[in-house]
Amino acid sequence: MATVPKVEVGTDYKEKYGFFVPEEYVFKAKRGLNPEIVKEISWMKQEPEWMTNMRLRSLEIFRKKPMPKWGADLSVIDFENIFYYLKASDKQSKTWEELPPDIKATYDRLGVPEAERKFLAGVSAQYESEVVYHSLQEELTKKGVIFTDTDSALRDHPELFKEYFGTVIPPADNKFSALNTAVWSGGSFIYVPKGVRVDIPLQAYFRINAENMGQFERTLIICDEGSFVHYIEGCTAPIYSTDSLHSAVVEIIVKKNARCRYTTIQNWSTNVYNLVTKRAMAYADATMEWVDGNLGSQITMKYPSVYLMEPGAKGDVLSVAFAGKGQHQDAGGKMIHVAPNTTSTITSKSISKGGGRTSYRGHIKIYPGANNCKSFVKCDALLLDDESRSDTYPYNDVDAENVTLGHEATVSKVSDEQLFYLMSRGINRAEAETMIVNGFIEPFTKELPLEYAVELNRLIQLEMEGSVG
Amino acid sequence: MGFTAEALEKTVLQGEPDWLRERRQSALATYERLPAPSKTDEEWRRTDVSRFNPTEFSHLEHLDGLKLERPAGLPAGVILKPLRMAAREHPELVEPRLFSLVHADRDRFAALHAAFFTGGTFLYVPDGVEFDEPILGQHFSHQAGTSVLPHTLIVAGRGARFNYLDEYIAEDENETGHRSGSTEIFLGEGAQVGYVAVQKWGRKVWHFADQRAELQKDSTLRLFNVTLGGKFSKTRVEASLAGEGSNAELKAIYFASGDQFFDFHTLQDHRVGNTRSDLLFKGALQDVSRTVYAGLIRIEKHAARSDAYQANRNLVLSDKAKATSIPMLEIDNNEVRCTHGATVGPVDPEHLFYLRSRGIPLATAKRMLIQGFFGDVLDRIPFEHARKLVEAELESRIG
Repeated sequence: MATVPKVEVGTDYKEKYGFFVPEEYVFKAKRGLNPEIVKEISWMKQEPEWMTNMRLRSLEIFRKKPMPKWGADLSVIDFENIFYYLKASDKQSKTWEELPPDIKATYDRLGVPEAERKFLAGVSAQYESEVVYHSLQEELTKKGVIFTDTDSALRDHPELFKEYFGTVIPPADNKFSALNTAVWSGGSFIYVPKGVRVDIPLQAYFRINAENMGQFERTLIICDEGSFVHYIEGCTAPIYSTDSLHSAVVEIIVKKNARCRYTTIQNWSTNVYNLVTKRAMAYADATMEWVDGNLGSQITMKYPSVYLMEPGAKGDVLSVAFAGKGQHQDAGGKMIHVAPNTTSTITSKSISKGGGRTSYRGHIKIYPGANNCKSFVKCDALLLDDESRSDTYPYNDVDAENVTLGHEATVSKVSDEQLFYLMSRGINRAEAETMIVNGFIEPFTKELPLEYAVELNRLIQLEMEGSVG
Repeated sequence: MGFTAEALEKTVLQGEPDWLRERRQSALATYERLPAPSKTDEEWRRTDVSRFNPTEFSHLEHLDGLKLERPAGLPAGVILKPLRMAAREHPELVEPRLFSLVHADRDRFAALHAAFFTGGTFLYVPDGVEFDEPILGQHFSHQAGTSVLPHTLIVAGRGARFNYLDEYIAEDENETGHRSGSTEIFLGEGAQVGYVAVQKWGRKVWHFADQRAELQKDSTLRLFNVTLGGKFSKTRVEASLAGEGSNAELKAIYFASGDQFFDFHTLQDHRVGNTRSDLLFKGALQDVSRTVYAGLIRIEKHAARSDAYQANRNLVLSDKAKATSIPMLEIDNNEVRCTHGATVGPVDPEHLFYLRSRGIPLATAKRMLIQGFFGDVLDRIPFEHARKLVEAELESRIG
């Protein structure tokens, strides 16, 4: 073997980051979860003391909280057998050849460019959009927008960070938010100043950082008064991951008159447990929109929620779930009306195929005094064969006056009449079914940026052929 | 005295056949074993029974005291008698069925009911027997502070067709007590049964009831529940569609006022294919009353070509009243059509405006809208006698 070029690790680190790690102590991933590991993670990141303490406190909470007894079966998760922190360099140790063939095939079919593929597959942490990224960053900086990864934000914007971190989703909210707070790494941090509109959607994609697809990512978005931002997380191409548990936390604060849209297209490979807590707080006349698509993973439990804190706030969840063989998508949305004159809608579309199971689980809560609220929930489910299953569990608690609340749901198969019509026009059955399914989720796709919509349609086509997963 | 083994021995066990004695004793053991429902249990999360202490009402009222109206010219072979008498005289019909649909171990209250049930009716209609005149069972409470626990068991033979009405009546609106009114209905192949239960117990009682039917091939059930009484009323209405071609229509209206609390749990269990169920629960709420509706449509794996509908509509007439609605689906087959919906809201201001613009006073307009709200479901009451009764009851409450 050729000699490895000598790298001046020690001096380099010191100059760049102001700390020094002798090589023999380079952080090695350890399995398991205990205060030492949490301390080590925090130390590795050179975090302030308050964060270290918060992590340790969260670990305690995580230990004390029981596993949720509802929803999907989570009993197989072995928390002691998970790597809670991997350095970026460790993550890239895979090679293209090691990837499962079906994932590679999907990239081919979707027409994902080579560089992007490697990025998605975790083979490379460098996605060659550096140029785009830099010009974007320049423009954002001019407007005073902060768009960075969450670790850097803690370092570079400590005050802003401390003011908001953990205020929307406190560690004690649920077992998995406690876990995330204890071991979080990566994710996006966005601050949009008063009155600023960010015209192009921001995507984690642009940020050159292997950790933005971490297991325990932590995203914090703050939209100051009258601002607007659209953030896009994930992508339609399957993201290959060897990690079995992904538990992210996303916190969003939408101040007076501001609007935030958060689009997710989740397509983890089907070995992943995806347990995510997403919540936004919307203040006076603010609008929060979650556009949430769940295609991949073995089990997803995700219920994006909006707390409507002041009069005039509006919350919107648009959710699509596709469950194929062996998958259980337990998704939905939550709307918590704290203030009067607030409105919310949840639209859910789910498709089950090949023995997959989709569950809509939602909660509308209207607090005492939150009078004159309106909320509407619509869930449609499509079952593509007789092995699949679909459930609807909407929970509604109304404690206020003069509230209008509606819920509607249908479950059906692909209509024979529609199928007959298309087939009588010379379209073969498979194609006709795909068209009907694409039509079924159209209210969702039309909310996506064009390139995503195209990719999603293509992906549905692949899923329908059964060539994925 | 309390609900104890001695109490059981002294009161209801006297003269009962051995199998029933054993069944009651086992239900009592279940009652003693089961803990009170916990707030973490989904079914009881919104339904507070912590202040209900059954032992306060351990005096049992009227062991066989019900009024059965036996229509003139009831066809031969029809058995209609108090349930306890039937248990002695027709064990071959009663023993295999009693508490086989409504299980004693479902919760504490079901167990208590199964151990101490008192009044109640047994109706057996043999194969092929049809009659038009409805059978009327009236269950009265005469005293405050007691338990009145009637149980109705209805067996419809193949192709039998008839209507039955259970009316639960309090002599004094303001009496306290513990009341139930559970019903088991067995529908044989091709049977057609209309069943109406009108619950008008006193406004201060605790009420628990399970109404459950099992439908064999091509049978049709039209069940109509009316809930008006009770400080606390919890009713489960469940249909198990066990035979192809069976059809269950489950309808209910409720009118809650004052500080009444009503809880409804429904189940449409499609166990086989080619079955149909249609559920509509409509309620109006006044003052500071509260209602909870939670319903489930379950389509089991091989129940293809099933058609299920479920709707809960709540008309909230006062700012302080509160309705909770949780319609749920569990669908395990794709060859189905399932739709459900729920609404909670006040009288539509546009409707009100329209009527008032036609010169109708506010109070009258409101009353018309409430009548209109209930109108479409009242039409579904399976027979005339019950329809008139329910209309009169509603009329007096809408005022």
